[in-house]
Amino acid sequence: MNHSSATLSQEDLPGDFAIWIFIFAEMLAFGVLFVSYAFTRAQNIELFNASQLTLNRTSGAINTLVLITSSYFVVRGVEAIKRGLNQQCSHWLTGAFLLGGVFVGIKMVEFQDKFAADITMSTNNFYMFYLSLTFFHFMHVLMGMVILAVIIMKARHGGYSAHDYVGVETGASFWHMVDFLWIILFPLVYIIR
Amino acid sequence: MNNTKEKSNLFFTVVWLVLALLTIMTFSLGEAGMAGKGVMLTLLAITMIKSQLVANYFMGLRRTKFLWRVIMFGYFAIVGGLIAVAYLMGLK
Repeated sequence: MNHSSATLSQEDLPGDFAIWIFIFAEMLAFGVLFVSYAFTRAQNIELFNASQLTLNRTSGAINTLVLITSSYFVVRGVEAIKRGLNQQCSHWLTGAFLLGGVFVGIKMVEFQDKFAADITMSTNNFYMFYLSLTFFHFMHVLMGMVILAVIIMKARHGGYSAHDYVGVETGASFWHMVDFLWIILFPLVYIIR
Repeated sequence: MNNTKEKSNLFFTVVWLVLALLTIMTFSLGEAGMAGKGVMLTLLAITMIKSQLVANYFMGLRRTKFLWRVIMFGYFAIVGGLIAVAYLMGLK
């Protein structure tokens, strides 16, 4: 069913409700992994602290700034389409998409560095969590980029309006979730010791 | 109408700048090699503020039912709380 945003109550969640079921399920999955990491760390503090020092904190921080900025661009894209400005919306979302590409590029360099040092998920418990958490998140960034690309194409063809932009809000909600989860992942895995 | 939109965009820009500033603070604490209970709690507090700024203003939950904001805050309270408990267990 294609809802028009204008017909939705202000108290409803932005976008299609189905995406929120997905968002809450993903948050739950990540939440279990975050807590598992913390309790496993409590049993192996020296190993986790030593392994954590091998991570590139600068890359992690830059990627946090990249995702936060891309989320801001998505907000501006949503604000533009609320005024019926399809082209402006597509420009902001294209900016967010490109920053998603920057995140993916930086993360791939990080993965490459680890694999070049013969570090795998079997190396130790820290790297098992680091690689699985960041790769799981990496896949969500890729999925978010695909969603953004579809919305950008539709917006370029004038597919949304000031009265029908639920598709933009749906994609935006997913992208913000990707940002939300990285905001927790970065200090947990890269910083807290 | 345009004035309202401009104010709204300015507000989102301020939220983005605050998020960037808090990220730099987190990074700086890591670079300084600081550790311990106080630092861990500070980092979790910064993370809580950042996550709620994204949920309430970027995701737009501030305009929705109170229940949704409670869920997003509750999520961080439970996950962040358990992370703090695990960290404190490691100190003993």
